[in-house]
Amino acid sequence: MKRTVIALAVLVLLGLGFFWFITEPRPIQQADIPQHTANLDNGKLLFHAGGCISCHGPSPDLKDVAVDVPAGGKPLVTPIGTLYPPNLTPDPDTGLGKWTDADFVNAVQMGLSPSGQHLIPAFPYTSYAHMTIEDVLDLKAYLASLPPVKNQVPPEPFPAVLRRGIGAWKWISFDDTLWKPDPSQSDSWNRGSYLVSGPGHCQECHTPRNLFMGLDTSRAFMGGPHPEGKGKVPSLRSLVEREKFKDVADLVSAFQNGEAMGYEHMSSGGMGDVQSNLAQLPEDDLKAIAEYILSLK
Amino acid sequence: MSKLKVGLIAGILALTVGASMAWSAMSADDAIKARQACMKMGHGGVMKVAVPIMKGEKPFDAAALKAAYDAEDAACKDWDAFWAPDTQKGTVKTEALPAIWTDKAGFDAASKNWYDAAMKLRAATDEASFKAAFPAVGNACGDCHKKYRQAD
Repeated sequence: MKRTVIALAVLVLLGLGFFWFITEPRPIQQADIPQHTANLDNGKLLFHAGGCISCHGPSPDLKDVAVDVPAGGKPLVTPIGTLYPPNLTPDPDTGLGKWTDADFVNAVQMGLSPSGQHLIPAFPYTSYAHMTIEDVLDLKAYLASLPPVKNQVPPEPFPAVLRRGIGAWKWISFDDTLWKPDPSQSDSWNRGSYLVSGPGHCQECHTPRNLFMGLDTSRAFMGGPHPEGKGKVPSLRSLVEREKFKDVADLVSAFQNGEAMGYEHMSSGGMGDVQSNLAQLPEDDLKAIAEYILSLK
Repeated sequence: MSKLKVGLIAGILALTVGASMAWSAMSADDAIKARQACMKMGHGGVMKVAVPIMKGEKPFDAAALKAAYDAEDAACKDWDAFWAPDTQKGTVKTEALPAIWTDKAGFDAASKNWYDAAMKLRAATDEASFKAAFPAVGNACGDCHKKYRQAD
């Protein structure tokens, strides 16, 4: 009997140790950040491609702040509770003003806060992880160039001990490999593939999830239940064959105009915000995205 | 009270409840079908004529537009009735979100916004004025769909 208890205790400790090990945040260090001269235009492009404003828009009580300033605090209702996405303006106390490049890369690509806590994956770092680090640094430089807004957002309803659990989820479901080009495809297709899988984070909704709430890559882009709980997300495969769009030009026009040109499925379920963000991108990038998406069969 | 009377009253009650249940279920389904017809045949019918003009695939065609507007009026004439509060759920699949009824003021404002834009579009007499007026209508459709229609 005594032996069994000891054996059990050892097993439990081993289990806890394993859990602690796999859920241990491993941030990258400032020394690992490459030398890079920031490109603000590219940062702005990524801000729109990443759809940052859709979640980080200003709280409704910030009346003097324009809706396209990422001052944060706009309530985001999710199945795990209401989140108040943080202030991305460079205010030193309530925004990103004091963040180092490493802090920013850790948040955007590793899902770690500056204090080393796992971030809730409603923030799509799971896709942003595939971006080049230079693009992430450009995005940071663009955000730092915005006028600072003082806005302290409410804390997240997620106790520290549960955050460790997010580490376990990441261990199972978080693919943090960088995006790689496919040399057999055109430059434009590859650009589209990069924008879709990295900054655009299209798969977060358009790819269904598996048992562990990770992306089921065997069914990539096939659509499925809406992650916010209502309705279905459409498949992006075979859009031409299913007569949803005629060609690349047609899909580009849908991105640029949405329902202003009668593309009626570009609004519901959050796609309206995506479309207004996409409309800010250069036409060549939209063509690249369309070329890539229409190649999904 | 006689047994007969009790039976009669129970029978009448049962019939009334049953009939009103059947009636309300039917009216919710009818409402859902009617608003889907308004969206698909009514608004969609206008889009089928308008979008090719916008894209420059077809010339401005006042007669075709007039026919589409008339069909839209006919399909959507019961607008207020088919959005009544008791029509939220029936047995027919609907993409209408509960916000239509919980945020009635917002929904009505969005509807009015569409109506005003649509009336301006109908007043267009040539291709230039039509092309200038159309995006406001499309955006009004989109603004309403963003908040009040669920994905697919």
